[in-house]
Amino acid sequence: MNARNYSYELAEEYNMQAYLEEQWKNMETLFIRKIMGFSSIGLGYKMQMPLIGRFLRWAAERQIHSEKPGRNPVRADGHFGQVLPLEDAQHIIGNLAAEPIIKNYCVCRWMQRGVKDAVCINFGCLSNIIPKLTRYIPVDQKWQLDREEAIAALEEQNKRGYVASVWFQPVPYINAICSCESPECGGLRLRNDFGLRTVYKGEYVVTLDRDKCQGCKNCVKMCQFGALRYLPSIKKVIVNHDKCFGCGVCRHACNNDALTLVPRESVPGQAGKF
Amino acid sequence: MDKTQIKIDYKKCGPNARIDPRECRKCMNVCDPAVFLMHPTLEEHKDPYNPEKWLVTPVWPCMCTGCMRCAQVCPEQAITVKAQRSLYQLRQP
Repeated sequence: MNARNYSYELAEEYNMQAYLEEQWKNMETLFIRKIMGFSSIGLGYKMQMPLIGRFLRWAAERQIHSEKPGRNPVRADGHFGQVLPLEDAQHIIGNLAAEPIIKNYCVCRWMQRGVKDAVCINFGCLSNIIPKLTRYIPVDQKWQLDREEAIAALEEQNKRGYVASVWFQPVPYINAICSCESPECGGLRLRNDFGLRTVYKGEYVVTLDRDKCQGCKNCVKMCQFGALRYLPSIKKVIVNHDKCFGCGVCRHACNNDALTLVPRESVPGQAGKF
Repeated sequence: MDKTQIKIDYKKCGPNARIDPRECRKCMNVCDPAVFLMHPTLEEHKDPYNPEKWLVTPVWPCMCTGCMRCAQVCPEQAITVKAQRSLYQLRQP
């Protein structure tokens, strides 16, 4: 929660404007470009190869987390994020995000599902670049938002079942809060299916109060990560903490207040496991 | 390794074909594991912010479950799938 990571001063210091222009011009082609002779086409199979697979994993992790100067925007170097609960996302929009704030069509959902869904909240100097890509600007709805509108939009999207996530683009500059859906999300695809750390788990995990759970199973439908399951024998829901990303979306479905987020650090097995 | 192979005939779907993937998008919508990626071609575009030539590439074949719905839904029969072992099956002990 460092305000400097959201500031125009930081963006200027690293010349983020130029980086973001190039990155967004080439965003959809990221997975088909050859990087060191390898494209991401069939990446899952490539990473199963004995030695080459380990090298690819190492190179991809290095690229995703790169903080060095001379990062390549076309490869989206240094672009990774973290899942966060609605309250934290709203705090970022309310207090830290730099104006102007816009809402645009999700890139991942457009390029992987063919659906236009205006759920990505972008801010700072990125908001001045996206309008140049007219295909991502919502038609027939307001897309230039003030803080209150953006906070309300996040709440509505979270309750629909989308996972809020905050993104470096590139590290350390923060300029987007996405509302992600698995498996379309490019970040969650790499994390969940290929084990690359493009998206970190949140600072929380969800816990379920057995006494309050009535076994209505509504929360199970909300989880994007398969962390919740209903057991017919005990007529209650169980939580798999290893799979939980701490997004808190399941809470919206619970009418009995049985689900609560607790800090990841307070669950011994999950402390430090992002 | 028995890899799943998905091929798209770009004579039937793409910038030089009757069907523009941006208009159709049926295969992407019907695919549960979101195997397909729609993207501008890698050539230079007249307006790099708003490219006009788009293709569909089956970018994550290892996630394919072999349900064949994409082949059935394609109005031009441009997709052929040779389903082999998915990543999930490869990781099974």
